[in-house]
Amino acid sequence: MKLVAFAFSGAVLVCTGCTGLKPVQPWEKGNLAKPAMTFETDPLEARFMEHIYSSKESVSGGSGVGGGGCGCN
Amino acid sequence: MLAVSKISTMAIAIILAGFSLHPAMATESGEMAPEFILPGQSGQEVRLSDFKNKVIYLDFWASWCGPCKQSFTWMNSMQTKYGAQGLQIIAVNLDAKAEDARQFILENSSNFMIAMGTKTSIPATYKIKVMPTSLLIGQGGKVIERHAGFRDDDKSALESSIKQALMHR
Amino acid sequence: MPRILGSAILSAAMALPGLIPSAHADSAPESGIISLRYLSYRDKQPGLDRITVSAPSLYILFPVGREWAFSGSRVMDSVSGASSRYHSSISGASRMHDTRQANDFNATRYFERATLSIGAANSTEHDYKSEAVNVTGTVSSEDNNTTWTLGFGNTNDSINPVNNIVVNEKKHTRDYLLGLSQVLTPNDIVQASMTYANGHGYFNDPYKMVDNRPRDRSQSAILAKWNHYLEGDSVLQSSCRYYWDNYGIRGDTLALNWVKPLSNGVTVSPSVRYHTQSAANFYYDPVYDPLLGAPFPLGFLSNPTGFYSPDQRLSAFGAITAGFKISKSMAGGWEADMRADYYQQKSGWRWFAKGSPGLEKLTAIILQLGLSKKF
Repeated sequence: MKLVAFAFSGAVLVCTGCTGLKPVQPWEKGNLAKPAMTFETDPLEARFMEHIYSSKESVSGGSGVGGGGCGCN
Repeated sequence: MLAVSKISTMAIAIILAGFSLHPAMATESGEMAPEFILPGQSGQEVRLSDFKNKVIYLDFWASWCGPCKQSFTWMNSMQTKYGAQGLQIIAVNLDAKAEDARQFILENSSNFMIAMGTKTSIPATYKIKVMPTSLLIGQGGKVIERHAGFRDDDKSALESSIKQALMHR
Repeated sequence: MPRILGSAILSAAMALPGLIPSAHADSAPESGIISLRYLSYRDKQPGLDRITVSAPSLYILFPVGREWAFSGSRVMDSVSGASSRYHSSISGASRMHDTRQANDFNATRYFERATLSIGAANSTEHDYKSEAVNVTGTVSSEDNNTTWTLGFGNTNDSINPVNNIVVNEKKHTRDYLLGLSQVLTPNDIVQASMTYANGHGYFNDPYKMVDNRPRDRSQSAILAKWNHYLEGDSVLQSSCRYYWDNYGIRGDTLALNWVKPLSNGVTVSPSVRYHTQSAANFYYDPVYDPLLGAPFPLGFLSNPTGFYSPDQRLSAFGAITAGFKISKSMAGGWEADMRADYYQQKSGWRWFAKGSPGLEKLTAIILQLGLSKKF
């Protein structure tokens, strides 16, 4: 899973302009404007799934902060 | 709650310190609107300077942009209401796929002028950052006002700017 | 009565704000939304139906002008079933019923190319209370192709188990988030985020026999997401997460979701997810002390750290989810959806870790129904 760390550093490099990717122009964002292309999802649905996984697995994190705990068994 | 307010103050400070939030807009008020010649929807030429005796409402739009669609209805009513007083609306399409634009134009009738600006340097020249963006251009070709986005509560301010521009014509 | 599945609160587990290039990226959403959702969860292990959860929930997003948006949600869980006392053994498991209520509230201020939101959440079970506050800020580049996110959260829990094994125990957690999303091409957007959570206090399961865990826990995760637009108008959403903590657990999670719009406003999305993790270093397999018997682990009396847990969630396993969602948008801003997920956990599906060979598999079926309206 070094891949993940690599992807993260890659994204950082792109952002800081170390690579030569051409910036996408506002009028080229037709596909990016589709709801499925944003990282926003139905908040209740996302919470349900995240909650179920965090109460059945010992792994959590990555998507938000300060969600509050539970006594999940 | 003390902790919360401390945290939020910190966060605001970080945001304000690190980033300048008010970039200068290009093709600002007072500048001359750059000339263009673009194909119209039925192949005729649309040349900006042909309308130098009119007040021009120049709009940049794409079929995939929701607010652009809302602005079409409003632009129709503005063209009807103020056309006789010298308003000309020109809507420049920037769709990547010509077919999408054609479909949109078929489904949304318009009584103003449409020009096809895809794959031209026009949106870059006009420094378009947000879809839609509109410019109100006075007689003589000077930019009076630039507006990004289109919301219901923008309508009255935009209309009064148009009225004012027509009065000074 | 003991609680089983926790609150569906995770309030500001807000997805990092995506880009909304068609509208003002720097102003509040123009329309509000009210959304109802019903969750049904049922899991079982061979020979026993364990837990059933039903949870209706309500979410409201209410923009005020261009600069503010407020949102709130409420979830009511109702849980019934049998809890496992140790490992997957169900001998002596007791029937139980519990309810839970969770609320959260969030206020977001929109600036030019930046947002700042403050949230608060609470969850109340009769034996477990949790209160959390959080602050999240985002800043976008001038071309809106890059968005940075910074978040901080603070959670205070108090635990009062009905068996009085402990009284008024506490848990305090702080968590931090750093995120970055970047438009790569007109068809690709990626997001990477790192979270770190540091908790002190009571982490034991008061209803499990022989459960004693360290009072400090630090958890780190790196999550990378990639959305790719495919010709034919569909979107492939993929994500992977790398996780590690001071309990010795390492975890990898991979997820794929394909979103395909059909005609008449209908969209289908099949999804798969694979999760694998190693065991906590104080987890013990179901091998019991010959003198003391189950559930005491082999060498219970000579354990130098004094930490041990038979909790299946701390074992090494793999888990697979297969899901399918169908949604339909209708006139007037209405949208309805249905989602079903089938989840299975098996020790044999672990990828890289060893141990926990004797655990029973866990199977769960998750159903959701949603209805929302924009106003």
